[in-house]
Parts: sequence; structure tokens; C-alpha cells
Amino acid sequence: MRAMAVSSPALDRALGDIVGREHLLSDAAALEVHAVDGVRPRWVARPSAVEQISRALALASAEGLAVAPRGSGSSLSLGNAPGRLDLVLDLGRMQRIIEYVPEDMVGTAEAGLSLGALGAQLAARGQMLALDPIGGASRSVGGVLACHASGPLRVRYGTGRDLLLGVRFVQADGTVTWGGSRVVKSVSGYDVPKLLVGSLGTLGVIAEATVRLHPLPPARGSWVVSTPSHAIAADCLAALLASTLEPDRLAVLNAEASKLVGVDGARAALLVSFGSVAEAVASQGAALERLAKEHRAGAAPVAAESWAQLAPALSGPVKLKLACEPRRLLHWLAELEREAAGGRLTVSAVGQGGHGVLEASLTGPLTARGLATRVLAPLRHELGREGGSLVVERAPVELKAELEPWGPISPELFAIHGRVKQAFDPTRVLNPGRFAGRL
Amino acid sequence: MSEATTDRLGAFDLRDAPSMDGLRACVHCGICLPQCPTYRVLGEEMDSPRGRLYLMRAAAEGRTELTPTLARHLDLCLGCRACETACPSGVPFGQLLEATRSQLERRRVRAPATDHGTLGFLLDLFPYPGRLGPLLHGLRLYQWSGLQLMVRTLGFLTPFKKLQAMEALLPPLPASAPALPAVTPACGKRRGRAGLLIGCVQRFFYPDVNAATARLLSAAGYDVVVPPGQECCGALHLHAGRLDEFRGMARRLIDSFDPELDVIVTNAAGCGSALKEYGHWLDDDAAQQFAGKTRDISEVLVEAALPLREINERVTYHDACHLAHGQRILRQPRELLGRIPGLTLIDLKDSDLCCGSAGVYNLLEPELAGELGRRKVERIEETGARIVVSGNPGCLMQIAQQCRARGLAIEVTHPVSLLARALVDA
Amino acid sequence: MTLSAAFLRELEAIVGVKGLVTSPEGRLTYEADMHTFYKGAPDAVALPETPEQVLQIVRLCRRERVPVVPRGSGTGIIGGAMAPQGGVMVSMTRMNRILELDFDNRCATVQPGLINLWLSQATREHGYYFAPDPSSQMVSSIGGNVSTNAGGPHCLKYGITVNHVLGLELVTGAGELVWIGGKAAERPGYDLLGLAVGGEGTLGLVTAIMVRLLHVPEGVKTLLASFSSIEDASETVSAIVAAGIIPAALELIDEFFVRAIEEGVGAGYPKGAGAVLLIELDGPREEIEAQAARIVPICRDHAALEIRVAADEAERALLWRGRKEAAGVVGRMTSNWLLQDAVVPRSRLPEIMRRMQAISRRHGLRIANVFHAGDGNLHPMILYDDRVAGELERAKQANEELLQACIALGGSVTGEHGVGLDKMENMPLQFGPADLEFMTRVRRLFDPDSIMNPGKLLPSHPACGEALRPGPPAIPPGPPAIPKGAWV
Repeated sequence: MRAMAVSSPALDRALGDIVGREHLLSDAAALEVHAVDGVRPRWVARPSAVEQISRALALASAEGLAVAPRGSGSSLSLGNAPGRLDLVLDLGRMQRIIEYVPEDMVGTAEAGLSLGALGAQLAARGQMLALDPIGGASRSVGGVLACHASGPLRVRYGTGRDLLLGVRFVQADGTVTWGGSRVVKSVSGYDVPKLLVGSLGTLGVIAEATVRLHPLPPARGSWVVSTPSHAIAADCLAALLASTLEPDRLAVLNAEASKLVGVDGARAALLVSFGSVAEAVASQGAALERLAKEHRAGAAPVAAESWAQLAPALSGPVKLKLACEPRRLLHWLAELEREAAGGRLTVSAVGQGGHGVLEASLTGPLTARGLATRVLAPLRHELGREGGSLVVERAPVELKAELEPWGPISPELFAIHGRVKQAFDPTRVLNPGRFAGRL
Repeated sequence: MSEATTDRLGAFDLRDAPSMDGLRACVHCGICLPQCPTYRVLGEEMDSPRGRLYLMRAAAEGRTELTPTLARHLDLCLGCRACETACPSGVPFGQLLEATRSQLERRRVRAPATDHGTLGFLLDLFPYPGRLGPLLHGLRLYQWSGLQLMVRTLGFLTPFKKLQAMEALLPPLPASAPALPAVTPACGKRRGRAGLLIGCVQRFFYPDVNAATARLLSAAGYDVVVPPGQECCGALHLHAGRLDEFRGMARRLIDSFDPELDVIVTNAAGCGSALKEYGHWLDDDAAQQFAGKTRDISEVLVEAALPLREINERVTYHDACHLAHGQRILRQPRELLGRIPGLTLIDLKDSDLCCGSAGVYNLLEPELAGELGRRKVERIEETGARIVVSGNPGCLMQIAQQCRARGLAIEVTHPVSLLARALVDA
Repeated sequence: MTLSAAFLRELEAIVGVKGLVTSPEGRLTYEADMHTFYKGAPDAVALPETPEQVLQIVRLCRRERVPVVPRGSGTGIIGGAMAPQGGVMVSMTRMNRILELDFDNRCATVQPGLINLWLSQATREHGYYFAPDPSSQMVSSIGGNVSTNAGGPHCLKYGITVNHVLGLELVTGAGELVWIGGKAAERPGYDLLGLAVGGEGTLGLVTAIMVRLLHVPEGVKTLLASFSSIEDASETVSAIVAAGIIPAALELIDEFFVRAIEEGVGAGYPKGAGAVLLIELDGPREEIEAQAARIVPICRDHAALEIRVAADEAERALLWRGRKEAAGVVGRMTSNWLLQDAVVPRSRLPEIMRRMQAISRRHGLRIANVFHAGDGNLHPMILYDDRVAGELERAKQANEELLQACIALGGSVTGEHGVGLDKMENMPLQFGPADLEFMTRVRRLFDPDSIMNPGKLLPSHPACGEALRPGPPAIPPGPPAIPKGAWV
């Protein structure tokens, strides 16, 4: 880490030249708003084009600045608290749709465009980007990709990993780089877009994303299956996944979360939607109701808005993401609730039923130390023994100090991870120390 | 690269050279690989059809000589022709193989690992009824006297792997059966006159199959003509690349049958396949005609409506390579078996993958053949069938031996035996 | 290169005498994959049976700076599984078992040499299958599919191989044995799985693969629509996609191939049609009925001559066999061929067909077409006879022009076959120097000594010379860095 040899006024001028004076913020209020885990940057720059990102990073690289890219800011607390933070690159001005050819079902958007705004444009042509993180309509395309956020549509369409075709990004030293392709099928060289998904901007700043789109289904119907026990919920889930039913959204809700969709008194619930022609939606819904009955659960149709009503489930001060083998999802949900109950915490959890991924939010009285040592660390340890993980995606800084938010990278891969970061950001410009392994 | 000059095709001379057009038809797609028994066991390119073709083509293009190593890879080929069935481009692998083998044979290019001694011995034995008969007479005594039981139980032959393998294959030899009558008249309305091949192995090891064949043909409306002087169809020599001897045997066989017969019938897949290729290897009208008239017994019987009584058995069918791949006969035997009331025909997984018999291959390469035989019987066991049928004597011997080795009480027999059992006599 | 006797002894000690091929005849058969245009025999072929053996082979080769070229079933068409620089070819064909079937988690773990189709055959009776279905699936190995990130007709709906890989075990070119991914769908760290799939053997050797299994759909409906021209068929494809229908597969087969397939396979394709569309729908029964009900009039609107629906599984299997053996049957109709694998955006399909016809006329060579029309992935086959003077040259010219036309329309140099040797020099058509340099750095991460399948995937011509030397990348033009000492 270089000593700060360059004065603020000089850098100030240089950054202002790059993004324009009015788009470079350095007043205390702005810096406070853009703080990451309480660490204030020295500047916030708001570029409007890739070239500006490039020049800003080139400068940062030359001057040893630490940079944090930012989309909507909703996941800024993901990762370790920054050890140093000089520049926040706010991509909020980059919201153009660069290219959209409905016939090709491919679109290219700038990273700062929100999922909601993009979705509205696509819906006008009967299409969608199948990425729906809970409560994520205001999140930016770039942010969702960089964080590998996903939602109930995963069960049918996958995640950003599967939907991102091509990416224009800026390397730590400012080199504008293209990876992937603009068409739905291409295997030319390494799948660089995949490397960037979930990398939290530590290998490059996503400027434009070319994504694969899907047609909006002609009809949709949603059902909730409410169950009196975790075991029955697990049975229903297993039966659903082993059947020929093809839901397009699937969420597992714990007792607390299921209240948000009008279910009271259930230990757990499955929220399921089918998207197809009306007859297929109705027939699959009926099949789901039969399936629920066979497993001693109750099923009923619910309004389409139910999905949007889930957002509060994950908005608590502490947000976790657990991952495990798909068949163990309900087990770990039960474990989480049990551990939390021990600390008199309330858990609200939404799981991706087909993938063994559980997002949960905790509220309650426990101290950071208590939460870390009595609830989270033991859970993470047990999960780790069966190849699972527990990531603390959002937490007060005190908790992050007690428990490293990511959890361990597999030891045998650690060396390769180090080489990756060293190859693409040797001078540690991009989010240094914030990613897994403190990379 | 040197291709055809006036007197050479690369490393080949022009006498019975493999066809360059045939070699060039291979597009190297590899679809043949999973169908090849030796590739399934060994997993190496050189012991796959694609690899063998590559070597043959390389030789034809002068990129390699005809070496003992090349010969060895061709020696390991079973000649089952499953690759031909799989090949989308129509590469005539069998004929290319036999042509190449003939050149290797003529130049005495011999792989040290191949047991040419045993091969020579067998080629001088099997096709000659005058030699095989007396030998089997001795073997019959060997069995009846109890000597075989002692030898097998006490493992006397264990140090002599080849001999042991051969001995193990011996089915219980029947008492020498009376020869079939020269003519068996048709039952009822006569459809035609059929010449019957009694075969070399069949006539000694499974004379009951020949008897059943004659009976069924007669029931189907054919006068069955069995030339007493007939000898060998030459298949073993053809497959071994001894083309001159093969041609001699073929001519003698053709001559021993009345040219006015309507159909020439065989119940041995290997023989039928060779007969149908007489037109390719012997360039005269008699051969073309003879080949054109050849039918496997299943092809003839499926056209007739035989009265059949019930056989309540679970049966599975193994496709002899020279029926399924050599002659593309898959449907007819199954259809016939399906006509037997009460018979449950169970699908055999990998039914058309070679059992390892492949003529005398199981005597020359007992390890590889044993592995294939073991796999075949595993599949048979999985069906739960009590009877397995196949239209080739070599397959019957190989499968029966493997069943014995595993202690399985499964009857191994020819489809005509079952049909004859079910046949209602007029 | 010549491998020393000591080296060969060490290699033999790892895989055993039956696991090593050194004869000239044996090595000759390994000198090419399906694209026999590219020939390069290895100096030795090793056939390991365990991941540990693979690890030891790579470490030995790294130590001695000997190239390593992996090979599965050798059905690739990009010159990937051949050894232009010699070295040790590692054939994975003996590692061909299913290691685990886990239906509760809907996944399977297999060895790389397992034939693609065999996995689905083993799981189908349990109601599951492995979705990536390249046309070579009856012989290509899953390791090979992973290596090239193979596609196939059903990837239109279900994605390509990488979308179905949950994890894999990799022996890196640096001599590490690592497991990447697993049954849990996420874990902290970078997505290295996305790099390893499609790595074409340049990052390491895959020794085990954990794949996703999908549930067999409730219903399948396969339609065959014939048209008098390719234009009508292409326009039908666009119309189907524009109607918001994503069939499970949408294949276009031209008249040449229809004839060849009928001769070779006898799949019941209508002879004399100018082009045929093989359309497959799968999913819930009502859904596929509704989709079929919309597709049929779309076909009619585009002058379909005949629309047939496969009556049963046997007919469906035969129709598909025809399609999948297309590459094989071509041997009946032509001496030689160059198979292209390029992509254009779907909306540009009719345009590329027109340009292709112009190229064909210009060079006097027939171009036959069978392709995944639904995602714009073309497989034009340029037919020629290498015994006729100049035809090979003209074919290569036409091939190049075709590729350039595809890129010009916004496509990709390769849709599913991969880059290998065949598309290596074309990479600069799609990527700039910085992009290629980034990928080169990826490669060095896993293969620091450049032994893994050298001479493939990334070009090394002088224009990118400096890009291949690892080191700090050049700073792009912009405001000059503030000179030090210029202020306090």
C-alpha cells in the first residue's frame, strides 16, 4: 500500500476533469451517505460512460486509491468492512439500454439501470430479464450481477450466471475489456462474464451487461402450500421437485415470512407460481393442490402480488444467505430457527426451494458477540461439514468485527483465488480486502 | 502421400486390396466406437473401428507399412460388424478388414502376440468334416467316460490356458446322430425346394438343430434337400483373410447344391453372412445367384404360418453378430418367438453386442472373449429369463460355457429348437 | 519432440504398461479428432484410470516441460484433441463410470470418459436425464462436453453444458488437484467453475464432473415441417420465436442433408423438400398442446408443404437419429467437407442465408445446412473434393468469408464446437487485444508453464505478441498520471 503521496486537491481536479465537476462529490454529507460500513470515502464520482470509468480507474490505479463500485447501494454492506476506501464509483447515471432486439431476446443495458426500470421496458414487448431478487426492483443490473443476487425465478431460469451473455467491464488499471458474446450461444474462449458474476467488483467494474431475455408467460397463477411442520414441508417440496410440474417461481417461507402472504399458523410454507398458457397453469395448480393434500398440507391460490409482499421478510438489520444441498433446505431452516430462538431472535426466511439456498433476516436483542459466537459461527461450522456455507450479507459493523462475513473459501482453492486477484488487481484497487478470503 | 499407382495402393498390392472408396467413406465421426466390443473393453483408439480404418487407410495412402503391430490391432477385431450397423456413412468395414487380412496373410505379417499356431490348427480342423468328425468321436468318449469331469474338477488343464479355454467351451456332445435324409418332402402344399446347409460345427455339435430345421422347413412347405457331400462354407477362412482357400471352399459348396433350388437355407449366422457375400468375393454368376438365394432359417419361417402350441417360458434373445450386423436380421427371429403362445420374450440389454465367440476368436483370445462373455451373461441374468436363444452355434457354446462358469441354470438353445418344440405336427 | 526413455519409464510407472501407447501405429490413430484436417500425433498416449494418476502425469509433464493434450472420445471438430506440438495425450476413455446418482438432490457425479447418452440412459428409468444433447452424444464423453461447453439442439430451451455443471474435479496445469463447486448451489469465492467449463483442456484435466439432472418432462411432441425453400423455413423460425414460444429444440435441415439422411439412416424425412424443420416441444401437456396449436398455423402461413407429428417414441427417436447422424451421413454424398459453426443473432438468419448463397455461387461450391435455427447457430458444410485441384483452397476461402459475414452481423466465431485450433486465428474478429490478453492471464493462472494443450484457443501471432507476456497491463490513454513531486 502506497503512502498517500498525492494531494487531495490534485486528485480532486483530475477526477473532476473525468466525470465533470458537478458529478464529483466530496462534501461531508454526500460522503456520509456513501459510506461503506461506516467508512467514508474521500470522493464519490458519478460517471456517465465507460470511458469515464476507465479514466477514473486508471488514475486510481496509478495513485494507489481504493475504489468501491456502487449500483443502487442496497448491498453495500456485503463483504468485509473496507480497510481503506478512497473513491466510490457510483454508476447511477449509467442507465441506458444500449441495444435491445426483441426478436433475438437479447438486450444490453448499462450497469446502473435498475431491474425495475429495465423490466418495464422489456414488459412492453412481452419479455423479461428473469432475475428477481426479493425486494430487488430498485437494484441495479450491475450490482445484482456483481453480488450474484437471485430470487424465486431461479428455479426455472437460473441466475445471473446463466443469464449473462457478455459484459463490458473496466479492469483495475482502467483497461476497457469485453468478455463473452452478444448472442445466446457462444463458446469463444473463456467464459469471462461468469468470473465477474458474484465477484463484488474485485476483478473489474461491470459497465454494460448483455443478457439473455425470456418471453413473459401468457398467464400466471400462484399458490401457497401451508404445512404444519418442517418435515411435511420437506416432503411437499421433494414431491414437487420429483414431479413433472414446472413452476417458474418457487420459494420456501418460514412461519414468520409466510405471514406476509396471508398464511397464519403454518410452520413453513411453499410459495409456487406457474407461468404458461392458462390451461397449463390451472391444471398444474390443481395438481399442486392434490399433491399438498396427499402430504397432509393445505394449498390455496394466492394473488400475484404475494411475491412483491415478501420484501419485508429480508429487510432486518442482519441478513444471511445459507447454502446447502437442496434436500437439506428445510433441515437448515429448522436449525436456524432453533438457534435463533435460543437467542430470542426472530427469523424471517425465504428459501430457493430447488437449490438449497436460504436467505434470512434476523431481528432481536442479541449482542454482536452473542449472535456471532452462539448462533452464526456454530451454524456456519455445521453447514461447512456438509459442504454448505453461511454468508452474512448485511450486518452492523460490530457483528462483522466478530464474525468474518463470508466464511472460508475451500482451502484447496485458496491458492488459486489468490492468484486470480493477483493477476487482475495486483495493486489492490478494487474493493481491496472486502471479498471472501480478504482478497 | 502415395495413393494408387499402377501396381500398388500405398502399402497394399492390388490383389484383393481394400477399396479406397470404402476407406474414404469414413468421416471419422466415431459413432462406431461405443458399438465396438473391443473398444468397450479396451478403450483405446487403435482397437476401435475408427482406429482400425485409420490404420488401413494410412497403409493405403502409404503413410504406414503393414506391420505386425498394425496386424495385431486387426487381429483383435472380432469381425462382428456392429460398426457397420452404426455407421451413418456406409463404410463396408467387414470387407475392408477381410481384404486387409488377406494381404497381411499373404505376406506373412504376423503379430507375435497372436497365436498363429492355434489359428492354423483350427483352420485346418473345423472346416473339414473328415477331420472334425473323428476328433469329436474321441471327445465324446472323453466326456462319457467321466474323464472330463475329473479334468474339470481337478483343474488339470489350468497351466494350459488355451487348451483349458477350448475344453471349457465343449458342450455336452450328443451321440452321433443319423445323417439327415437327402430329401425330406414338404408337408402339405409345396412352396418350393430348399437346400439346407448343415454346417461344420452345427452338424457335429448341434445335430438336433439341423434336424429341427429340416422339420420346420418341411412344415413350412419346403422339400428339404440336404446334399450329403457338402463341406464348409469357408466363413472361417474368409474372416481370417485366407481368401484363396475360402474361394475354393465356396466354389465346392456352390457346386454341391443343385442350381435349381429355390432357396438355400442356413441356421448358422456365420455361414449365412459368408454365403451372402459370395457375390462380392467370387466374381461369377453362379456365386451371385447362390448368394442371392441364401436365407437364414428365420427369414424363411417368418413367411409361413406354422401351427404352434404353448411354451410357457421367459425367454430372451441374443443377436448373433452375423445375423444382426452381417445380415441385418433383427425382426424376424423375434417375431417368430413372439408367435409361440405363452412365451414371454424379454428384451436383452446390449443384445447385439458380441458375446465373444466370433468364430474361433474365443479360442485365440480367451481373455478378451471371456470378458465379453461375462458381460453378456450378466445382461442375460438381469432379464430373469430361463432360456436364452441365439441363431449361431458359436454363440450358443460361448454363452453356455459362461453360464456354466457362473453356475446359472439357464437353457441356451437355438430359436429353431424352441420352434420345433412348439410345432404341432400335422 | 522425442520423449526420453527415462520419461517413458516414469510414465509407464504411473499408468502401467497397458495404460501407455507408444507404438507409431497406435499414436497415429490419435493424431486427429473428427476434424482430420488437423493432424498432430502425440509422442505417447496415456490412459489413466484414477484422478491420482492424472495428477502424477501432469506433474511429471510440468516438471519436464512436456505438453499435455486431453482427449475424450475424439469427436470434437476443432482440432482440440490432437497434439500439434507432440507431448503426452491423456485419454480419459477408461475413466468412464458413473460415480454417484443422487436423485434427492437431482445430480449425478461421473467420470469424464462416460459417454453423454449413457448417463441419461442410466437415469431415465428413474425419471431424470442429462439435458445437454450435442449431436455427438451417442459417442462424445461428458468430459469432452465440459471441455468445449457443448450445446446441442435442446440447449435452446435448457442452456449449454455449463448451465448443467454443479462441480468438477480438476487437475490444473500447475499440478494441483482441486474440487470446484458441489451440491450446494453457492459458496463464497470466485466462480471458477465457469472458467473450467469450456476451458478446452488449456486450464487442466477434468477428472470428475457433478452434473445437474432434470426431471423428464410430462409430455413431448415432435413435429416435422417441410418447406420448399430454406427462406420459408428460416422465416418460420423467426415467427415462432417472435410469438413468444421457446421450443425445446428447433432444427433446420436443408435438402442436401435430407437426402443424405434418408440414404444413410432412413429416418422418414420427406424427400424432395427444400428444407425441413424439426421442432420439439416438451413440458406440461396442456402447454405443449397449446404451443403446437400455435406453431402449426405459423408453419402454414410460411408455405409449409407438410406438417407431421411423431406418433410414438419410436418415430420420435428415428427423426432425431436422422438429425444427430447428419454429420456422419455426409460421407455418402461428398468426398470432403468443411463444417462451420458460427452464430448470428436469430433476427439475422434470413440475411445470413442470403449471404451464404452468394458465397456459394461465388466459389462454385455447394454449401449444405443443418443447424440449430432457434438460437441462430449455423452449421454450414462446405462440400468439396480434395482430389480436384484448387477446391480445397476455394473451400477454405468460402469458409473464412462465411465466418466474417456472421461476425459482421453481430454473431460469434463459434456457437458450440469451441475454438481449439480451428477458430484460434479468428478470435481477433470477436475480441480486441485487451480482451485476449485478459483471457491469456486467466490461462496462466491455471497453467503457468504453458503445458496444457499448447497452441490452442488463444492466438499467438505477433499482433498479440505483447499481450501474451504476463505482467502489469499497459495504462490506457487518458489524463497523464500526476507527476510525483509536482506538489507538496
